Amino acid sequence: MAYAVLIVDDSPVMRSFIRRVLGLSGFEVGECMEAGNGEEALRQLSAHRVDVILTDINMPGMNGEELLRRLCADGVLKTTPAVVISTDATNERIVRMIQLGAQGYMSKPFTPETLREELERVLGERDATRS
Amino acid sequence: MPPDLERPSALNRDPAAAETAARVAAEVMETMFFTEAVAADCDHDWLEPACAARVRFEGSHWGEMLLALSAEAADPIAASFLGLDPEELTDAQRGQVIQELSNILCGALLSQLWPESTLALSSPELATWEEWPDEGTLHRCYTLPEGRLAMSIRLAAERPGQ
Repeated sequence: MAYAVLIVDDSPVMRSFIRRVLGLSGFEVGECMEAGNGEEALRQLSAHRVDVILTDINMPGMNGEELLRRLCADGVLKTTPAVVISTDATNERIVRMIQLGAQGYMSKPFTPETLREELERVLGERDATRS
Repeated sequence: MPPDLERPSALNRDPAAAETAARVAAEVMETMFFTEAVAADCDHDWLEPACAARVRFEGSHWGEMLLALSAEAADPIAASFLGLDPEELTDAQRGQVIQELSNILCGALLSQLWPESTLALSSPELATWEEWPDEGTLHRCYTLPEGRLAMSIRLAAERPGQ
């Protein structure tokens, strides 16, 4: 099964890098969409089916924290797993993002293999919840 | 000075911090830039025309990091990050990748040095390399197959504005 992925990051080169790593990881990506902040992400989510969201935290406009709040407050979108990708690997930040509703947290640097494992884990949990 | 704000002299006197800097730089360059960084003796002749970026951080620690990539290394490193041929790379992409490198390296290093800290990083900005005083500055140079990399990080003596 190929999954639809939404990459949310204000850095165009980071979005390109994540696309590249997804390709290297062996994770089966179908449609791969991009957004530059939380508002753009919500617009993409209202128009497309997305299986998993990969989001940065610090972005102009709606940041990753607010995006997670909006997802949790939405009856439909709250079932779409979100994985935070950030340079911040401090314990407090990780706990905070999980409490806000992130299903996973990847700190940079990360390998294609660890990205694939994290995506498979959160999608496995999503499928287990739905069945 | 709040109790959790380390004095600026602490970083460059801590052998563990230097070891962490070498390890984190090697990990970042290998994992995300597909190259090898090896800690090396300093030779700063190459730094004046280098591509540099600055990141500031604040929270439980306050300070800044300056990163430089030698001119000959910038294109192959940026192209490798994006999966492009160096000829395809634009000036904007080169600058954005160097900013991203400084952001990743700074975040990874701070998280390793102080995992229990609370820190916010500024948006990276392109900069000109500056030689900072040895006292209070953790500075390391690295060799890469593509060229050279240098990094300096220092803590503020007190919170800005105080």
